[in-house]
Amino acid sequence: MAIIQTSKLYKDYATNGVTVKALRGIDLTIDRGEFSALAGPSGSGKTTLLNIIGGLDHPTNGQVTVNDILLNEQSAKELARIRLNRIGFIFQAYNLIPVLTAIENVEYILLLQGVDKEERYQRSSEILREVGLGDELHRRPQELSGGQQQRVAVARAIVSQPDIVLADEPTANLDQKTGAMLLDMMHDLNKKKGITFLFSTHDQMVMERAERLLHLVDGQVADDEWKKK
Amino acid sequence: MQNYKIIIKLAWRNIWRNKRRTILTLLTIVVGCAMIILMNAFAKGGHDQMIEDAVALNTGHIQVHEEGFWDSQTIDYAFKPSEELISTIEGHEAVAGYSRRVHAGVLVALEDVSKGAMIQGIEPEREKTVTNLHEKILPGGRYLEKSDSTHVVMGEMLAKNLKVKVGDRISIISQGFDGSIAAEHLSIVGIFKSGNQEYDRILMLIPLSQAMKTFSMMGYVNSLVIRLGDPDEMGEVIEACREVTEEYSYPIEVMGWKTLMPELVQFIVMDDVAAWIFDFILFMVVAFGILNTIQMSVFERTREFGVMLSIGTQPSQVVAIVLTETVFITLVGIIIGSIIGIGSSVYMHFNPIDYSAYADEIAVWGVNTTIFPATVTVANVVVTGLITFVLAVLFSIFPARRAAKLDPVEAIRTL
Repeated sequence: MAIIQTSKLYKDYATNGVTVKALRGIDLTIDRGEFSALAGPSGSGKTTLLNIIGGLDHPTNGQVTVNDILLNEQSAKELARIRLNRIGFIFQAYNLIPVLTAIENVEYILLLQGVDKEERYQRSSEILREVGLGDELHRRPQELSGGQQQRVAVARAIVSQPDIVLADEPTANLDQKTGAMLLDMMHDLNKKKGITFLFSTHDQMVMERAERLLHLVDGQVADDEWKKK
Repeated sequence: MQNYKIIIKLAWRNIWRNKRRTILTLLTIVVGCAMIILMNAFAKGGHDQMIEDAVALNTGHIQVHEEGFWDSQTIDYAFKPSEELISTIEGHEAVAGYSRRVHAGVLVALEDVSKGAMIQGIEPEREKTVTNLHEKILPGGRYLEKSDSTHVVMGEMLAKNLKVKVGDRISIISQGFDGSIAAEHLSIVGIFKSGNQEYDRILMLIPLSQAMKTFSMMGYVNSLVIRLGDPDEMGEVIEACREVTEEYSYPIEVMGWKTLMPELVQFIVMDDVAAWIFDFILFMVVAFGILNTIQMSVFERTREFGVMLSIGTQPSQVVAIVLTETVFITLVGIIIGSIIGIGSSVYMHFNPIDYSAYADEIAVWGVNTTIFPATVTVANVVVTGLITFVLAVLFSIFPARRAAKLDPVEAIRTL
């Protein structure tokens, strides 16, 4: 069952009077439960595609739907609501809120959703324990290692049980071992909870572990490789 | 807002991320508020003192005359205070005292000198409840007493110009109310130094009973001067007097101190305008201080706001976070600033600025006030706090909206 569908997706950027074609007619379907990666050289359009699927950017042309919701037609306010309730984000540089503790960062999403205090705490602490941070609930980001911060970011992304988690170069700032552990953890979550993951990556390790690898070249899908079904 | 708790938590923690900047901003607000409150307290206290001094010296809060007297200041405009008028004045609880007066321009003659002067016939005992000239008698003399007749008290400069002292006799000549010649020999019993150059140069006081005879007043007086215990009741007392004086067959004017001393009102208005300009400058310094802090704070957190917007924070919630930070800093600043402003104003109320050493220089400007206390009012503190608060919020809207309108993709790329 398709969770993401793009149809003839184009994105042009105008920089200093020069138009750059970042996406050139991408047709893509991601099914629920996939553990997929967008790979390709810099400038191939990976991050642009991820941003458009996440409702953070608008296509110049074409359509994108997330769980049958057509993002093109949504207002900024509605897009924010969709991002909050249906999409989890993991960024390259962790991007936690520095004045909040680990558990508060995770709770933040639930708070915005209006979840009550007890449930918020229970769900957030449970997720943090699952990602191995049960002893670090009340530490602030600057008191955590890069790997721990990224695990908090994963916990924040999945705590609201989104339709899909979009991860932009999640291992880029981590060492090999920590990156591998993080990928194992996300793969585990994918299997156990059925959470759909879509990565954009340069990292060979991510490409190897992804079950489906979409190669982007010059804003087009050059190769769609299913490694495992 | 449903998520106000997280907004408050984020705002409070964010303002302490850069302690030095927050403390500097707080100091701007604290010093600004305290200075505005203190300066306004000095303006209020100084103005009240000037009004009190002017009223207490001779003018009183209210005067009743035949219409035309105050403009012409001649003996020809006189009226008989009716029993109803007197009982109305005596019966009003806001009235502290009243006194009837006769005013006459006279020529003072000595053997080889003659000078123009102004005589006021006063009721010595009643006058003490209206004015404080009796407290300004120089040593060696005394104020008028009820039993006095052809006795006179005069201003220091007038005595100096006439080259007379206590115990000397002078002659006066003038025109009576009935058109006859008014002449009298008077004994000087006291000399006053009021601090008001005009009074000290031309004013003489004699008993009202003697003035009635000398100027053939036939029971008429030129003015009835009222002193109020509560000056805020002036309008009501004027209205009560006007109701009674409407019964007269000739027009009577009932004037408050603002009409009697328009130059003082003008001075206060001008002084207020100067104070407002000073206040405005201080308010702007505070407002731009806050704008600078919030602007910098938002600028430094561009990436953070980008992330917050990406993960589903509504732009209105970002605005709320930034404005709440402003509200926290401003409220803390206003509270501390108000406490310091009130404290310093109260201190300066009981320890006023004393310019009595420069009394003569100040008198040149027609002001006889030498003590300038600070008087802090609730309105002063509330208005200062409110304006600071509103300006702070208004000046924060721009950076708050800027944060809310960030493009998340661009913002996250910011280093």
